[in-house]
Amino acid sequence: MTWISKATTTFGLLLLAHACYSAHEHSALQAHRAASLASLTASQAGVATSLPIDIAIETVVATFIVVLGLVLGTAQLRPIRWRVWAGQIEREGEEAFKDADGEIARDYIGNPFKLLESRPGFVDIRKQRQEFADWVKSQ
Amino acid sequence: MSSSLLHPPSHLPPTTALQLSQQAPKIIKEAPGAISTSALQSLFAASETPELWTVYENLLLSCLRTGDDESAHQCLGRLINRFGDDNERIMALIGLLKEADAPDNATLEVVLKEYETILNKDPTNTPIAKRRVALLRSLGRVSDAVVALIALLDFSPTDGEAWAELSDMYFSQGLYSQAIFALEEVLVLQPNAWNIHARLGELLLMAAKGSPSPDASRQLSEALKRFSRSVELCDDYLRGYYGLKLITTHLLSSPQSKSKQSDNDNLALPDTTTLRQLDELATAKLGEITRRFSAGEKGWQGYDETEITAAKTLIEKDSSVTIR
Repeated sequence: MTWISKATTTFGLLLLAHACYSAHEHSALQAHRAASLASLTASQAGVATSLPIDIAIETVVATFIVVLGLVLGTAQLRPIRWRVWAGQIEREGEEAFKDADGEIARDYIGNPFKLLESRPGFVDIRKQRQEFADWVKSQ
Repeated sequence: MSSSLLHPPSHLPPTTALQLSQQAPKIIKEAPGAISTSALQSLFAASETPELWTVYENLLLSCLRTGDDESAHQCLGRLINRFGDDNERIMALIGLLKEADAPDNATLEVVLKEYETILNKDPTNTPIAKRRVALLRSLGRVSDAVVALIALLDFSPTDGEAWAELSDMYFSQGLYSQAIFALEEVLVLQPNAWNIHARLGELLLMAAKGSPSPDASRQLSEALKRFSRSVELCDDYLRGYYGLKLITTHLLSSPQSKSKQSDNDNLALPDTTTLRQLDELATAKLGEITRRFSAGEKGWQGYDETEITAAKTLIEKDSSVTIR
């Protein structure tokens, strides 16, 4: 999915650059023509022509293509509804919050209410050590 | 850096704890030991992040659990270096390390005395107050621990963790109604905690099954509501559906007398049709969850293996009863 968005964005940027270049060329041409006309007949000067319609259309289309490419490239949105979000945590665990590189998102907290059951402030460290030692023995 | 180091590790299985503590020497070597306060040096050195200190704290807990005391002392040393040993949270960690190192009960009593000295100076030192409660409970003096915890809740009544601990202590003493009350306080503070709703449902169910008191039918109907709320707050919540299944089976197999519930219509049990529908829903959901988990479907692997096994057993028991 990412390469599609990247290709679209690049294409849009190329189009945009092309439109800018065309506009620049057009204005340079206009200035040149005006200068040469002025040298011939002083009375004809100041014919300001607007930008051709195709350059304007190209600019607008290019902008939309860039926007489309950027929108396609956004990360997947998180659920808004509470029960869907909570269900995702329970059902998928950490997997749901991994990005393309397999790294878990920084803001992943899992079930935030798990703390009410594990209660780190009241941890009984000696019991935990004992349990761990027993587990090692059983391995 | 693993993300699980950013969260308190006490609920992790032993394998993960071992894995985490084995990373400890590497992390201690790589991570900066101290952050300089001088402006010039901070231009060149790595910037200080809050995560760094969270990682040290959680690493300390994991190392203590697995018995890697050397790394634990190193972590603590760096934390003290940064925050000073008069920081409340660091004081609690120092106490924790002393508890873990203590060879016998006499040393633990000394640690307990130290906690009391600190609390005499500053009675609102919450982390130390919590450690004192935990140590009292660990020493088997549960009633003292309850008194200490109630004192803590007196000056800090919005501490959900403390209420949950109180509930657990009452539960370990068999005092169901007190445990239920404490857990209801947690729900007042955290009304969206779906696991606490399920936990309260479990407590109510145990209380109702344990005592054939006139209160039992009210407790059963409340437990039914709690389980329903937990699955309403969380889609595909295995624990919630498990409880729902348990309670609907219980209610359908032993019909409660209707006459008693007429006086408090607020908590009246739903009629048999509704119960049957709930039962069917829970069975269907449990079946779906276990099937998809066992099939290894992507996006259904977050459940606990043992919980899935328990759910399977429950469904099989239920279906064998139906066939008979």
